[in-house]
Amino acid sequence: MGSVNLRWSRVANLLPVLFGITLVSFLLLRLVPGDPAQQILGNRYTPEAAEGIRKGLGLDRPLLEQYGLFLKGVATGSFGESYQYRRPVGELLLDRTAASLMLVGLTAFFCAALSIPIGLWAAVRRGGLVDQGTRVFFTLGYALPAFLIGVLFILVFGLKLGWAPIGGYGTGFTSHLGHLVLPALTLAIPFSTVLVRSLRASTITVLDSDFVTIARLKGISEARIMSRHVLRNAISPVAVVFGINLAFLVGGTVVVENVFSIPGLGTLLVGAVSTRDYPVVQAVALVLAVFVVLVNLLTDVVHGVLDPRLTVGVQR
Amino acid sequence: MTRSTGLPGHRPHPTRVTTALGGLLTLALALSACAGGSDESTSPDSKSTPGASSAVDTLKLANAVAIDTLDPVEASANESIWLDQNIYARLVQTDPAGKEIVPDLADKWEISDDKLTYTFHLRPGVKFADGTPVTAQDAKWSIERARDGEDSAWGFLITPVTDITATDDQTLTIKLSTPHAPLLADLAMYAYAVLPQKAVEADKDFFNKTPYGAGPFKVTSLSAQSGLVLARNDNYWGPKPKIATVEVSIVTDDNTRLLQLQGGQVDVIENPPGNVLKQIAANPKLRVDLFDSTRVDFVSLPLKSKPLDNVKVRQAIKAALDLGRMNTLAYQGNAKVATTFFPYKMLFWDESVPEPVPDVAKAKQLLAEAGFPNGFTIPLIAVSADAAGQAQAVVIKDDLEKIGITVDIQSFELSTAYDKQRPGTNGMGMRYWTNDIIDPDEVATFGADGDGGANAFNSYWKDEAVSALVTQARSEVDDTKRAEQYAQIQKAIVDQAPFIPLSYAPFRYASGQWVKGFNVSPLGNYNDSLLTLTVAEH
Repeated sequence: MGSVNLRWSRVANLLPVLFGITLVSFLLLRLVPGDPAQQILGNRYTPEAAEGIRKGLGLDRPLLEQYGLFLKGVATGSFGESYQYRRPVGELLLDRTAASLMLVGLTAFFCAALSIPIGLWAAVRRGGLVDQGTRVFFTLGYALPAFLIGVLFILVFGLKLGWAPIGGYGTGFTSHLGHLVLPALTLAIPFSTVLVRSLRASTITVLDSDFVTIARLKGISEARIMSRHVLRNAISPVAVVFGINLAFLVGGTVVVENVFSIPGLGTLLVGAVSTRDYPVVQAVALVLAVFVVLVNLLTDVVHGVLDPRLTVGVQR
Repeated sequence: MTRSTGLPGHRPHPTRVTTALGGLLTLALALSACAGGSDESTSPDSKSTPGASSAVDTLKLANAVAIDTLDPVEASANESIWLDQNIYARLVQTDPAGKEIVPDLADKWEISDDKLTYTFHLRPGVKFADGTPVTAQDAKWSIERARDGEDSAWGFLITPVTDITATDDQTLTIKLSTPHAPLLADLAMYAYAVLPQKAVEADKDFFNKTPYGAGPFKVTSLSAQSGLVLARNDNYWGPKPKIATVEVSIVTDDNTRLLQLQGGQVDVIENPPGNVLKQIAANPKLRVDLFDSTRVDFVSLPLKSKPLDNVKVRQAIKAALDLGRMNTLAYQGNAKVATTFFPYKMLFWDESVPEPVPDVAKAKQLLAEAGFPNGFTIPLIAVSADAAGQAQAVVIKDDLEKIGITVDIQSFELSTAYDKQRPGTNGMGMRYWTNDIIDPDEVATFGADGDGGANAFNSYWKDEAVSALVTQARSEVDDTKRAEQYAQIQKAIVDQAPFIPLSYAPFRYASGQWVKGFNVSPLGNYNDSLLTLTVAEH
């Protein structure tokens, strides 16, 4: 594989995007009604007490100044202090990122392990048992919401069969992996649906193309045709679909982490939104958005590696 | 959750949708079979008698809400507060029944005749979990921190306190500007815990690491608000807990929490879903635990929303409501019909107030007298995630329909709902109250004092005589007179109905039969039961 034609302009384009993300994540929650002081005081809300709390949190300052402070927090990596947990948000993020990254990584692994063989098989044996069977299975998996699949998995594999722990995260790396198998599968099944279908479609296109026919005529073995000629060409569009959907997968982790009570960024985010913990919401939204942006960049690069004819970052 | 296919061309063919639906049905059947099966697969219940120690020395508790902070002065989540009480001892504490004040770190105290000076004597030899002695100076510093600290939400409770002095290592004197009946109850509150001054001052991260006090347990591990491990504190002055460790995990999803209990992964869960209590109780391995709480659900009828400013309209609404039916629908009959706005059976709760009986004819008549014979339309703000509150709102709508009032239920997420209710101009609102101290001064101030900052639970109802009574009762040290004053305050709310108490809801827990002796006090804490609780093999 050759080098990638990556233009620096593609990377430079990220700067305004990142700036936009800070602005949106800052403003979005502030536009929603709901007052952090109300959350902190609960039934003991009095206007005086709320005023004191808003002052303590710096919420009485002009919006622009608050935004400036947020940017400063981002630059220093502290992200300000959480209203609810009274700790620097940066520390909370550090504690929580590992679990989410592991979950996304394991999900990506399951996706590849499921969708590449099934997608190829379904294309080669079009209309066969595997093609039809997986179509039903994955359509179902795609149609069911993640929280339902998650609970079903817990019920069957956790409670009934006792093969996997019922939620939680465990202690130690292997225990973490064990706890993440069911949540990763929960995420991987709907995700794989898309990949299987798109890999099947692109494989069929490639299989029908002239150069495959020629390869067959030359007497090259079917296995070699598949690995050298078909997969190489068919996987390229799938990689793009994979990249785009990885971004949505990050959204999915929020739901799944809550169902399986995994201490990741998703559970942190849900708790922070309902308590109007602005600094935490801003920081998590920012981190997730940066992750998505980076994945998109990486997708472009991988696409470039798979298809050297492309130059990444030039609009024609 | 959002998903993108990336390939819009690949939609399931109609015939395949049917296949998928068939599959779904099969899955649903499998699901119900699983649920049923788990109930049947019962192992013989090991009913070992609790001995001097617990057969299993760890209790695993799954809470629904994250630990916000273990600094007792700053904590606002109930679950954190209940944990605090296992870790930090106070000068005095409430008894397990939540009825009276009993000794904690101070084994005796004297109150001067003018009720303005309290002298506390610490137990001799009492120690923090790290072995250092608890001194009166620690107590002075801790109480002042809770009263004056910038981040403390509880200073307002003890404003009459003028001076706190550590006379010697074991004697603490508290002076007041005016008699303050709730003082002992205030000092029994978690925020007024006695903390190790030197250790807390030396480390600004003290409460984020492995905080300790002089309570029966100490923290050995605290992981990013997602869990906590408590170990027995061998320096605790009282009876040593029979269990050595308490593992607290945070499981926010209701179903997952219940499944963890069914699978034996945890021993006790908080807030099992209200609609499956019967199924839990039917499982011979499990048990539903309902404990009296200080929770009072109410619907506010703010005077700023016309025509709720007319007392007859409010009384008509009250007469139309069927609280018994509401209890059945919202709490499966597990709550109690509320009579007064004071928490159920708490200090000075007026037991002579009868349960309200629905009377549609009287309601219609009151409404006609008020000038609304044909009723009117009014919004009701409810909290979307609160299943019981939603059910209550529906009953209110249905009951008021009968007297011609059309209720427009508007559901919002909690924070937004309270924002909408606060100004009092957006119609009726579903609310609730819980107590932090056993003394009723707090609930009376927030609920009935129209001059207080809370505007009588944001109803904007004001009665000078009642406000004066609230202030008087706070300084009244004769219990008989105080009871009289609180009875008048409760009666005023019953008659004037600026808000209508609906239900006294219990605390809900579920636990394995293998856990013996888990108990929750009306204030929500369970530290007393953890001293004697045992866990059998399971």
